[in-house]
Amino acid sequence: MKCPRCVQRIHRAAASCPQCGFSIEDADGRFGEEEVRLRRLTDSAGIFRRGERERVEAALERLSRRFPQIFVAVYTGALGEVANIRQFGFWLLNRSAFEDVPVDKPNEAGILITIDPESKAAGMVFGYLLDPFLEESDTFECLSRGHAHWLEERYAEGLIKVLAHLEGILCKRSRQARRDPEYFQRKVLPPAMMGDLVRRIRAGHRNAAVESAIPEVAR
Amino acid sequence: MRAWQAGALICRLLAGAAPGVVEPGLPIWNEGERAGLVASGWMAGGLLLTEEPAPNETEPAAGQALDVAQPSAEEIAEAEIPSNEIPEKFWPAYFEQRPQSYVVDPQGLLSSVDYRDRLGFLDYHAGDSTIDLFVYVFRGDQEIPGEVREEELVERFFSAGRPAAVMYYYLGAPQRSVLYLSPSLTDAVSAAEQRRALESSVMQAFEKVDPSGQIEALLVQMSIRIYWMERMLGGVAAAEEMPVAVHAAKVPVTTSLMNERLRPLMESARRFTLPAAVMAATLGLACALSWWTRRRARYRFPEFEVEPRLGGAHAAGVGAVISFASAALPPASQRDQVPDYLRRA
Repeated sequence: MKCPRCVQRIHRAAASCPQCGFSIEDADGRFGEEEVRLRRLTDSAGIFRRGERERVEAALERLSRRFPQIFVAVYTGALGEVANIRQFGFWLLNRSAFEDVPVDKPNEAGILITIDPESKAAGMVFGYLLDPFLEESDTFECLSRGHAHWLEERYAEGLIKVLAHLEGILCKRSRQARRDPEYFQRKVLPPAMMGDLVRRIRAGHRNAAVESAIPEVAR
Repeated sequence: MRAWQAGALICRLLAGAAPGVVEPGLPIWNEGERAGLVASGWMAGGLLLTEEPAPNETEPAAGQALDVAQPSAEEIAEAEIPSNEIPEKFWPAYFEQRPQSYVVDPQGLLSSVDYRDRLGFLDYHAGDSTIDLFVYVFRGDQEIPGEVREEELVERFFSAGRPAAVMYYYLGAPQRSVLYLSPSLTDAVSAAEQRRALESSVMQAFEKVDPSGQIEALLVQMSIRIYWMERMLGGVAAAEEMPVAVHAAKVPVTTSLMNERLRPLMESARRFTLPAAVMAATLGLACALSWWTRRRARYRFPEFEVEPRLGGAHAAGVGAVISFASAALPPASQRDQVPDYLRRA
C-alpha cells in the first residue's frame, strides 16, 4: 500500500505516512471536513454527452449486479492546479455519501474512479473490503484500457473499457479467493509482534515434546 | 444488243427464275444488231443461245448401246446382301475376342478426337468404378449379323475379369442401343433396373443433336447408372474383382487415383459423422450453458478485518493514476508511479 502524497510504501496499520506524515487530516485540510453528497455517476465536469451517461450507468449497474457486495462510482471534475488527484480520490471515498447506493454497501466496498479532464488525469481508489484483492498494478491495467479513448476525449468509451477490464479482474480475484481465502487473509493480517513469534516457537517445542513422550508411554 | 446485255442474260439463265416472281419477258434479237455482231466474228453467249451443234462436236448415234462389262455371279450375289449389315471383314474385330479397349470401333465410325475422348472417359470410369463399361460402335442403320448371338458373346468374353456392362451403340440412333451385363452382374441387377438404366441413358442421348454428343451423353449417363448399380450391389462387385483388362490406350487418370486414395478416408469419415455431430452438438450446448451460467454468476469476496490506515475510515487503497495529456506519454511509460512533483511534464 502506498501513500497518496509521496507514493511510498506504508505498512498495514500506519496512522500516518512514516515518510511524509500524510493522513486524512491533511486531505481534510485541503478539501474540507464535511461529508460530500454524490451520486454513483457524478459528472461535475460535464464530459458525458447525451446517451453516454446511460451507457456508463448501465455498465456500473451491471458491475453492481455481478458483485453484490461492492459498487463502483465515477466522479469527473476539474480539480485545479494545486489539487492532487491521488489525494483527492482518497479523501472523496472517505468523505462522500452516495445517494443512489444501497445502505448495505458501505464505502469500504466502493471503487471510485476520478477523471480530471482539465489536468488530463484519471485515478482509482478502493475501499478496505477490496484491499486484499486489488493491487496497484490491477488498477493501472484497468486505467490503461481507457487511455487511448481519453486521449481523443471519448470519455464514455474509455470508461466502459475500464469497467469491463475491472469486471474481469474482480471475477478472477473472486474465484481465487474462493479457492484459497487464506492467501488473501494473510495479506491483511496485522504485523506479527515479538510475543507472537515467541509463542509460536514455544508451541512448536511443546508439540515436539508431546510426540516424543507418546512412544515411551506405549512401551 | 451490247456485250453487257448478253452477260446479264447469261447470269439470269444460270440463276434461274425465282418462284412467284413475275419475270420480265426475254429480250428478242434485233435482226440488224445480230447480223452486225455475227459479221464482227464473235458474239457473247452465242454458242449457248444457238440450236446449232457446237463446232467439232459429233452427234450421238441414236439407239447405239454402251459397251459395259456384264456383272459376274459373285457381284450379283454380293448385291443381294442387304447393304446395312456389318461388313464381314470387321466381324473378327467385333465378335471374336474380348475387346482390348473400352471402345470397340474397328470401322472407324468415330473421328479420332471423339474416339480418344470416349476412350479417355471410359478409362476414367474404369478407374473410378468396379464395373467396366464397354461400348461397341455401329453405324445407325447397321445390323448385327444373324450368326452372332450377343448374349452368348458377352457371357463368353466377360465371365472372367472385372464385372462389365457392354453396350451396343448405333451411331445416330441411340434408341437402338442394347445393354448387356456380365454374368456376375446379371443375377444381382434386375432386368427392370437394366432397362431403366438404358432408357435414362437413351433419353440423355436424345438431348443432343449431333451423333458425337449423343454417344457422349449416353456414356456419361450410363456411367452414373452403373454407380448406382454398384451402390445397390453393396460392394459385391468389388469383392469379385479380378485382374484388370489390358487397355490399348492409356489416358491420365490422376483424378480417379486421388479418388481411390481418398475413398477409405471418406468411408471412415462417413462412419464417424453421426458421433461427431452428436459430440459437436454436446460441446456447443456445454459452451452455451457455461457462457449462460457465467453470465448469470454472482461473485462474492470473503470479508476480512482490515485495520484502518492514514486515518481513513473507509478506504486507504490508493490505486494507480494515469495521465492522458499526451500521446507521447503512453501507459507503459507510466507504470512506475511516482509523486506528481517528481514527474516530468
